[in-house]
Amino acid sequence: MDILWLGVLALLLIGYFALEGFDIGLGLLLPVLGRTSRDRDRIVAAMAPFVLANEVWLVAVAGVLFGAFPAAEGEALFGLYPLVVTLLLSWIVRDAGLWFRRRLDGSAWRAAWDWAIFAGSAGLALSWGMALAAIAGGLSGPAVGLPGLGAGLLVAAAFAFHGWTFASWRLPDGPTGSRRTGRALLVSACVAAAPAAAVAAATAPWLLERAAPAGTLGVLSVIILPFTPLMVGAQVWVWRAFGPRSAADRMPSFF
Amino acid sequence: MDVLDLARTQFAVTGSLHFLFVVLTLGLAPLVAIMHTRYALTGRPLHERRTRFWGQIYVINYALGIFTGLVMEFQFGLSWSGLSHYAGDVFGAPLAIETLGAFFLESTFLGLWIFGWHRLPKWLHVACIWLVTLTAYASALWIMAANSFLQNPVGAVERGGRLVLTDFGALLTNPALAMSLPHVIGAALWAGGFVMMGASAYHLFRRTADREFFTGSLRFGVIVASVGSLVTVGFGYAQFGMLGQYQPGKFSAEPLAGMGLGLMILIGQTLQLLLAFVLLPAVYWLPRWRWAQPLLMAMTPLPFLAAIFGWLAREVGRQPWLINKRLTVADAMSPGLTPGMVTASLIGFAGVLGLLAVVDYLLIARAVRRGPSSVALGAPGPADPAERAPALSL
Repeated sequence: MDILWLGVLALLLIGYFALEGFDIGLGLLLPVLGRTSRDRDRIVAAMAPFVLANEVWLVAVAGVLFGAFPAAEGEALFGLYPLVVTLLLSWIVRDAGLWFRRRLDGSAWRAAWDWAIFAGSAGLALSWGMALAAIAGGLSGPAVGLPGLGAGLLVAAAFAFHGWTFASWRLPDGPTGSRRTGRALLVSACVAAAPAAAVAAATAPWLLERAAPAGTLGVLSVIILPFTPLMVGAQVWVWRAFGPRSAADRMPSFF
Repeated sequence: MDVLDLARTQFAVTGSLHFLFVVLTLGLAPLVAIMHTRYALTGRPLHERRTRFWGQIYVINYALGIFTGLVMEFQFGLSWSGLSHYAGDVFGAPLAIETLGAFFLESTFLGLWIFGWHRLPKWLHVACIWLVTLTAYASALWIMAANSFLQNPVGAVERGGRLVLTDFGALLTNPALAMSLPHVIGAALWAGGFVMMGASAYHLFRRTADREFFTGSLRFGVIVASVGSLVTVGFGYAQFGMLGQYQPGKFSAEPLAGMGLGLMILIGQTLQLLLAFVLLPAVYWLPRWRWAQPLLMAMTPLPFLAAIFGWLAREVGRQPWLINKRLTVADAMSPGLTPGMVTASLIGFAGVLGLLAVVDYLLIARAVRRGPSSVALGAPGPADPAERAPALSL
């Protein structure tokens, strides 16, 4: 049973990097790809229908950590205190940029929130890189340091590549000036998820020692497993409804 | 302030903000779902405009519910790792179920609903907002079940210095949950109804063009608020009998809890009297009573104020326990937490969330003021104004 929940946790974390990775990557590339406000609108509109379905994977990671690996949750989050705080603040600032950028007219308002999307995405990528480096180091050293910064830049580069590929797939010959197939998007998703997969594999024994007792895991399985077809179905539906053939540019976007 | 006070303040600030926004989310979601269903059934443009206008207010409000909720979820591990260490095997289960079985679906379907206008088949689009509503209420159930465990730790025994789950069903039949869940849901409908009533009163008072639109919405708001008030007050008092069993003396031991309780009841009873004896009997004529409309607008924030007082009463009345009679708040704090760490994160969270909350309320007020003719949610037509111009010239 603990192996099953370890698998669920790893899948959710890897899925978060593979999916939310392109949102964060496009946020990072927003000043580069979106030199005009029209291009920025197109890029944000391209990722907008996916963001809510993507970012929620991390909420699920934290929930599973608390429910199935409670001893690890306290240790890991407290051990990474400054990074978890910057991660949350960056996430909030990025999301605020998305939700608020079109709520008032005027180019200054929208440009300011576009910078918030960039700053939040940069904070997310760097916090993640540093957090993964600290976890890989066994939470022993200081949470913030030079090796962590290097890992942060690496994660940022992987996310940017994934975001660029996503934009080329959803908006062919759009702001990136090129087009990519779904297969290329799958490859870039693997690149974005690789750091998370490596850390998940490395920490598996440490996590298993901290699993909740069989009684708790049994209850979680009985209640959650019946919902998995619905959860998978809803995620698949998002991709079917908002894929490249859905004419991303024709409708005004809410974000 | 010492580190414990700082950590408690951080939780109280983010928790109060979260509650202010989710109470409206819960209140408006079913109302928007009903309006969308009416539109799908009749095809009348009036119902479409209502769905999009109130839906946009719902969605703008939703943003802050997410932002504050993220901080709430991660804060357990940041400042209160003693809780997951001692009771994570029990308390973690409802939270994990909430994130996977409820919020995961809610967020996915909300994205489909917001961006699915003019793309999804009609009835599947309606199904999205109902699934958002359903999962939002499932969230409320699991979060209240987790909170009720802190009020009255049932279904668990202590073994080797940690709590072990022995009876999951007891978490759901907890006397601390049975009466408080409908109390909170009633309060949410009350708040949602009042926002609809107050915003409609504003447009009727200003004599804007959408008279029919807001006449119906004002009546709908008053009726929903009346139902909500009955449920809230009824299940509010119904809690007292059981409270005597698991937390006797809750409101006499802590003056702040007693004050919260008293003020909540004051606001709730006054408004309920007004609803039951004036607003509901006069609901047919109310949209025409111009003198009443400023009063209706002024009343709008009161259910939110009562909700915060109620939250204070429930949570402060449990001090000094985090898990009643099992684990103190001081023992639950993460060992090694320093005042410097909490001060920095408190300034960050309170500053960013406080600022965004103000922006969010201003944006809601602006969306109300601009009215149904300029709603971005589900707006038809091409995104690019350059493409729209020729279409208009035809």
